[in-house]
Amino acid sequence: MSVSSSGVRLHPERALTSAARQAKLVGSALVGPALILVIAINILPAFYGFYLSLHKVFFFANEGYVGLANYAALFSDPFAWQAIGRSLLFTFCSLAIAVPLALLAAMGIRRLGRWGSLLLTVLLVPWAMSPIVVALLWKWILVPSPGGLVGALFAAFGRPPQDLLTDPMLAMPTLIAVGVWRNFAFATIILIGGLGQIPKDLYKAAAVDGLGALESFYKITLPLLAPSLLIVISMLTISYFNEVQLIIGLTGGGPIRQTNTLAYLLYNTGFVELDQGRGNAIAIVMFMINMALIAIYIRILGKQPGAAA
Amino acid sequence: MSFVHFNRRSVIKMTAASIALAALPRAARAQQLSGTVRIWTFLSSEGQSPREVVLRNIIGRFTAAHPDVKIVVEPQPFQELETKFVAASAQKRAPDIIWMRDTFLDLVNQRHVLANLDEVFSDEFKTKVVPDLFPVFAEKSVFDGQRISLPLWPSPAQVIFYRKDALAEIGIEAPPLRWDEFIAAAGKLTKGERLGFGLPTNDNSVSSFINVLSGFGPSIFDPSTGQFDITGKEAQETAKIVRQLVQNGSLSPTLLNAMGDDIQDQFAAGRFAMVQAFAPRFQQYRDIAAAYDGKQLAVSAWPAFGDLPPSVLLGPYWTVGLSASSQNIPAAAAFLESLYTTEASLEWGKVAGLVPDRRSTLDDPFFSSPEAANIRTFTELLSAPGALTFPQRLPDITKVFPVMNTALQELIGTDESVDAVLSRAKSTLGW
Repeated sequence: MSVSSSGVRLHPERALTSAARQAKLVGSALVGPALILVIAINILPAFYGFYLSLHKVFFFANEGYVGLANYAALFSDPFAWQAIGRSLLFTFCSLAIAVPLALLAAMGIRRLGRWGSLLLTVLLVPWAMSPIVVALLWKWILVPSPGGLVGALFAAFGRPPQDLLTDPMLAMPTLIAVGVWRNFAFATIILIGGLGQIPKDLYKAAAVDGLGALESFYKITLPLLAPSLLIVISMLTISYFNEVQLIIGLTGGGPIRQTNTLAYLLYNTGFVELDQGRGNAIAIVMFMINMALIAIYIRILGKQPGAAA
Repeated sequence: MSFVHFNRRSVIKMTAASIALAALPRAARAQQLSGTVRIWTFLSSEGQSPREVVLRNIIGRFTAAHPDVKIVVEPQPFQELETKFVAASAQKRAPDIIWMRDTFLDLVNQRHVLANLDEVFSDEFKTKVVPDLFPVFAEKSVFDGQRISLPLWPSPAQVIFYRKDALAEIGIEAPPLRWDEFIAAAGKLTKGERLGFGLPTNDNSVSSFINVLSGFGPSIFDPSTGQFDITGKEAQETAKIVRQLVQNGSLSPTLLNAMGDDIQDQFAAGRFAMVQAFAPRFQQYRDIAAAYDGKQLAVSAWPAFGDLPPSVLLGPYWTVGLSASSQNIPAAAAFLESLYTTEASLEWGKVAGLVPDRRSTLDDPFFSSPEAANIRTFTELLSAPGALTFPQRLPDITKVFPVMNTALQELIGTDESVDAVLSRAKSTLGW
């Protein structure tokens, strides 16, 4: 039995329910504003985007319902499929370089102690910069004429300047390099946090059992880092798959569509060609691909032993 | 009969009174104008480029004459001006004055967001200033009897800039004006790391392919549809010209998606002997010249095919309009008029090296001076026999330039047949 503030005796179960209800109310009050914000700026526009994808919208004028015509036009366009391929190429090549690089950097920075923090701060600068500023910066660095930094490096080795952004063979690798440069420090931070959560005793026990550094890495570090890796890979996938500002600033989707990813196709269709109906259809397709990729990651990495940690 | 006797003092008094009387309407108007005028342009009122300096001066003069009016310049990316304006108009937050490319006028006009300028301009402006503008540009802004904008900075738009010093190396003073000779000259100008010719192939509002095609004259555009024949004989010939320029090394097969700004920067650094460039940027090109003396920069028309006259495609160029939903139309219209005073026209010429909007201004001694030699060249190009504009209603205006740029990249960077490249462009546009 308990006594309520008004002096009325309450049954213990009832008092518990009342407390739980109060806690729920407080929780809702705290989460509510954020939830409303997410609904207002993410969920509702997404539904509106889907609604527009079913209409012919050109230059901000809705010219009527067209059903799935925008999707049919998109999937019958060979360049749209090519763009999906380019997006996946850009995403997975960038991931394949950025994640191992971030892991190496995270382990190195942890060993460096205070100097590591300083190094991390420096590495974080590109991530903190606007992508379009990064693009302009790299455009100046890569300019293939006297005055360009990379051109000067080539000249120092007796090589002529290279058109790194306008050569069909070099544009995509250059874009990937800039994308990795911009984002890998963000991944490093998350992995440093993940590494810090692995108990040191495990390494000591592994050493007693005679495990080498490489074996410890594969049998302890990687499995226990799975949750952090899942976060890193998921976030970088979303970031790379949806990357458009670097492409606008560096290559404009060219040369000859070599860097025309799905995100750039969306920009070009919706904001250059002003076909906003089809642009929204591309956005919906991009959303579905993003979700599918993340579901795959959760399925693969979620089974790792450390995933429950 | 009695005579009224005028002494000197009374004459001076009467003259002063007449002047004051004549100035009354203007003064009254000046007193009436107030509030804020918002302008969307790609220029910044804080910027240092020649055109920005002139705009700032014009604003300064206008606000001095109309102290109750505040002019607010809100710079926007140039390729987004029309889009943002239409979107902002739908949301009732459009600026009062908008800079637009002529090629977008039809599209913007279809949204009914522009005021009929003939209804808001003063009678004096309509009778004295509008007829003084270059008719080829001014007439293009009239849609179904309504004047929806005024052209600004009349210019031959995309022309060829060249370095006189580089051309002197091969013993010529200016680029040849026939394609066969031009290709040979461009090949000779390609030396070491310098390319004979540079083309922007990735701008959304410029197509080098159409510029070369314009060498066939105005007949390239179908008068009824506004389209050009992408797979026709002229287009095939144009594609062959491009391929020849690649074959002799004048155009680089690895410089495929350069934008106008890239070409400008690399020209300044000495990478090209000749380039396609936007004429109003002439002064800017001169100012940033690093690998050569800026005084060596000169301008030329595009070469032509056969016996046709050299080509000058007058567009895309800038025009200025007034929002139909402006809450301050009198002040906005007055400011718009102030862009076209004789003083403003002179300043666009003297400071920014532009052809003055007012043709009568060309009588000013400045335009006969050696300093204005290039402005005279631009002016001659405007009235050259090969001058033509884009059709008032060019279909698929948002797609045609990017599609033709990709086709041009394919012509420069691949060995694919001309037929295949052009057919793909045609099918992409659905023409």
